Amino acid sequence: MPDWVEPVARYMLDVGLRNTLRTAAISVVLATSIGVVLGTLITIRFWLSRALIRGYIEIWRGLPIIVTLFIVHFGLPALSPKLEFDVFTSGIITLTLWGSAQIAEATRGAVQSIPREQHEASAALGFGWVGRHRYVIFPQALRRLIPPLVGLIVGIILNTTLIQVIGGSELLETAEQSIERLGSPPPVGLLDPHAFEILGAVAVVFFLICFPLTRLAAYLERRLVA
Amino acid sequence: MLAVTYDLGAYLSEHWEFLLRGFARTIYVSAIAIAGSFVIGLLLGAARAHRIPVLSQLAAVYVEVIRNTPILVQIFFLYFALPEWPGIRLDVFTVAWLSVMLWGGAFNTENFRAGFEAVPQRLREGALALGFSRIATFLNVTLPIGGRIALPSSINTYIAVVKNTALLYVIAYEEFYTSAYQVNALELATWETITVLGVVYLTLVWSLSALIRFAEGRLALPEAF
Repeated sequence: MPDWVEPVARYMLDVGLRNTLRTAAISVVLATSIGVVLGTLITIRFWLSRALIRGYIEIWRGLPIIVTLFIVHFGLPALSPKLEFDVFTSGIITLTLWGSAQIAEATRGAVQSIPREQHEASAALGFGWVGRHRYVIFPQALRRLIPPLVGLIVGIILNTTLIQVIGGSELLETAEQSIERLGSPPPVGLLDPHAFEILGAVAVVFFLICFPLTRLAAYLERRLVA
Repeated sequence: MLAVTYDLGAYLSEHWEFLLRGFARTIYVSAIAIAGSFVIGLLLGAARAHRIPVLSQLAAVYVEVIRNTPILVQIFFLYFALPEWPGIRLDVFTVAWLSVMLWGGAFNTENFRAGFEAVPQRLREGALALGFSRIATFLNVTLPIGGRIALPSSINTYIAVVKNTALLYVIAYEEFYTSAYQVNALELATWETITVLGVVYLTLVWSLSALIRFAEGRLALPEAF
């Protein structure tokens, strides 16, 4: 293997991949929690909460994610200096807004697919609204929710690359930095950016993470929904 | 601070021409990419659904590679990696429409494959029994019925294609988002920029979503299927 490979690979895996996975993990947890709660609350027949959650879903699902990132990273600090975040926090907020909107819509569909009799039966057993959803409705809705959820997790992982746009050193940014460095004249670089190998490697890493998850989503879809 | 400096009227009267040019590029690139991804989806979707040897497997690889890698990596790859190997240097505009088209084509292949596979086998057998050739069966039975089934999900893909054009910012193709970003970089009129970006993209995306509901109502298959 050529000499340049080892330090570049070490940097991309130690710094880039680590940041990508950490950002994705935090965003997935936050987006899932918020999305599941909002998607359950929107099934309550009260116009104000419905309108607010519907607005949240349609806006953050409708905007290109890079526009949401612009709002979070440049718009919020213009409102108040207290709302200025580092690049990874901005990225996590952005991915959480997008992901929770997607998951809320999926949750709404799953919760509403549970027949009314289940609500009535659990109410007859003495469950309140929270207990009914916690112990009866949601566990059943989960079967329908999990396949699209796995798909959305893949979406969040792929979209962490957006943080590259604002300079956060996730996997794609560390790749770009390495390409720029290798392309510069010696002694810093080799005057050969090796963009093909490096970007190819980034694609391979994402593929190795996401392809099994995509297959899992398809498998769960057949197993759980049918 | 915001209340003092926010002036959408002045912002628009000064920059509307520049922003409109960016918007026109967004529409232009989207139109090319949508048309291209329609053709790709139709052809490869048919190859997948009918299990045409070699082509079907190649289409499967194409679909999985595009779906499981970030579109930003795909854009960078076309722009920075292809000139190294195999030595193809594409200009910014070509990378712009090609990258979003290849992305949409992969998702559309899946949409059309699912649509064609949902056409009941008995309808195809009926056409073959009437003496239609395989191609005529596809054109007269599978395409009109499966195409309708695939329509809502393919419009969803076109919506995503339009949104993805904003990512062409990374290769400095001056579509709408890039234009708005550049105005903001000069003027620091952040919330005027956000207002314009939000209104334009949400109007585009919500109108296309309304089109899905309209198409679903108009083109729904009769109950008998």
